Amino acid sequence: MTTTALPISAHPAVEGGLQLEVTSVSVQTESIVSIILANPSGGTLPSYVPGSHLVVQYGDGVNAYSLTGSGNAPSEYAISVLRVEDGAGGSMAMHQLAVGDRVYVSRPRSAFAPVSTATHHLLVAAGIGITPVLSHARAAADRGTTSSLIYVYRPGAGAHVDEARELLGPALTECSNRTGFQEVLTEQLASQNLGTHLYVCGPGAFMDGVLGQARELGWPEARLHSEAFGAAELDEGEPFSVNLVRSGIKLEVPAGVSLLETLENAGKTIPNMCRKGICGECSLSVLRGAPQHRDLYLTDEEKAENTTMMCCVSRSEDPELELDL
Amino acid sequence: MRSVSMPSAAGSGLEPGFRGVICASFGVTGDTAGHDTGDRPRHDLRFVSANPEALADLRSVLGCSHVGVRLVLAGPPADIRAAAAAAAECGLLEEEMTLLCDEAGPRVVYCPHCRARTTVGAAGTEAECSGCATTLFIADHFSRRMGAYLGYSAHVEEAS
Ligand code: FES
Ligand SMILES: [Zn+2]
Repeated sequence: MTTTALPISAHPAVEGGLQLEVTSVSVQTESIVSIILANPSGGTLPSYVPGSHLVVQYGDGVNAYSLTGSGNAPSEYAISVLRVEDGAGGSMAMHQLAVGDRVYVSRPRSAFAPVSTATHHLLVAAGIGITPVLSHARAAADRGTTSSLIYVYRPGAGAHVDEARELLGPALTECSNRTGFQEVLTEQLASQNLGTHLYVCGPGAFMDGVLGQARELGWPEARLHSEAFGAAELDEGEPFSVNLVRSGIKLEVPAGVSLLETLENAGKTIPNMCRKGICGECSLSVLRGAPQHRDLYLTDEEKAENTTMMCCVSRSEDPELELDL
Repeated sequence: MRSVSMPSAAGSGLEPGFRGVICASFGVTGDTAGHDTGDRPRHDLRFVSANPEALADLRSVLGCSHVGVRLVLAGPPADIRAAAAAAAECGLLEEEMTLLCDEAGPRVVYCPHCRARTTVGAAGTEAECSGCATTLFIADHFSRRMGAYLGYSAHVEEAS
């Protein structure tokens, strides 16, 4: 399988990472496979914070996948990959991996960490968004913290359903339609004790809906945690403008065009590699305005500071951003 | 939806799962009455001071409240600070609390030299530090982090 054999050299985004071997490939659903990676020479792998992801190299590209384990002294890394038929995201290549294949991966990166002071985790996932949330549920069970999960999936297309049932028992609510989901969500958002934090992962519109409803019911931002769903799922966003303070020019970023592309079109050279919010190469300093962070690279804390943004995927909450450029 | 519970009855007058605004006032001067909660349900608590019973009552009220609830604390800074700390232990976040510090009540002054805290009466702009006896000028600045007013050496220019 030449397309999935270990490439000659590691992509810069996985430099300093690990070289792992595929030890198992199992079909979750028609379009989702789970892939287990282990150290070819045996031994445990670096521990990771629940909700972390792994950057995996396929051919000469890279993509990020959530780790589904608890992260505590793992002997293997498990990821689940949704096949995106027309995506350039490498999901097709990932689906061709076979036992014995070697891949380059980064060290696990944390960008969707559980809050240590939380006494309960309310987890909400749609579709493949189950993956990081499953990691949270496992870690909570390990630590003796409670969690509950609302999982939305199309009938017959749910990954990890059996594991979720076993792990959460009655704390799992499965939904297959919008109306049922809305009812459960409203009921749960209105009945949480004060130690609860909310974690949501799924398509952008789904997350916006859940977060919007939580805010309406009085949940402050500090209790809300969400994980962007991967570049393939990013919507085109709203137009905004950027003011390049050092260059003294102002540019308009239209909907559907990234800030990185806009800067490149204007003749600026911005270092970049993955162009999907994974590698951290295209980072820019923000002097004024709040970026709409859509990357997987910055931590929650770094995002909240609003002083750095990944211009390949992130946009703006404000009509204008001022950049140190 | 307005209820007033006396300290002893606190917690019992509240329906479980409360997500409105809890207004707790301390001392004779602490008053949340002027705090407009809009059309959100409101639950009033009145305490003499942030003593252990008062804090236990506050905890029990928060314990049966749900995410979405807000807390307004009014009274002398020392009481508010103790109440805010108890609320934080119950899982309430800083952005879910409003602190209305009563400037006329006793104040806690923080000494930058020896880090002692000295409680002083309402009147006066100077106090003697209980730790190092430096005469402290009480600044207008109330530090939420320290739960105290910041003091500084009142006669620093003469001291040297
Ligand atoms: S180019 Fe990799 S994060 Fe933007
Ligand atoms: Zn002193």
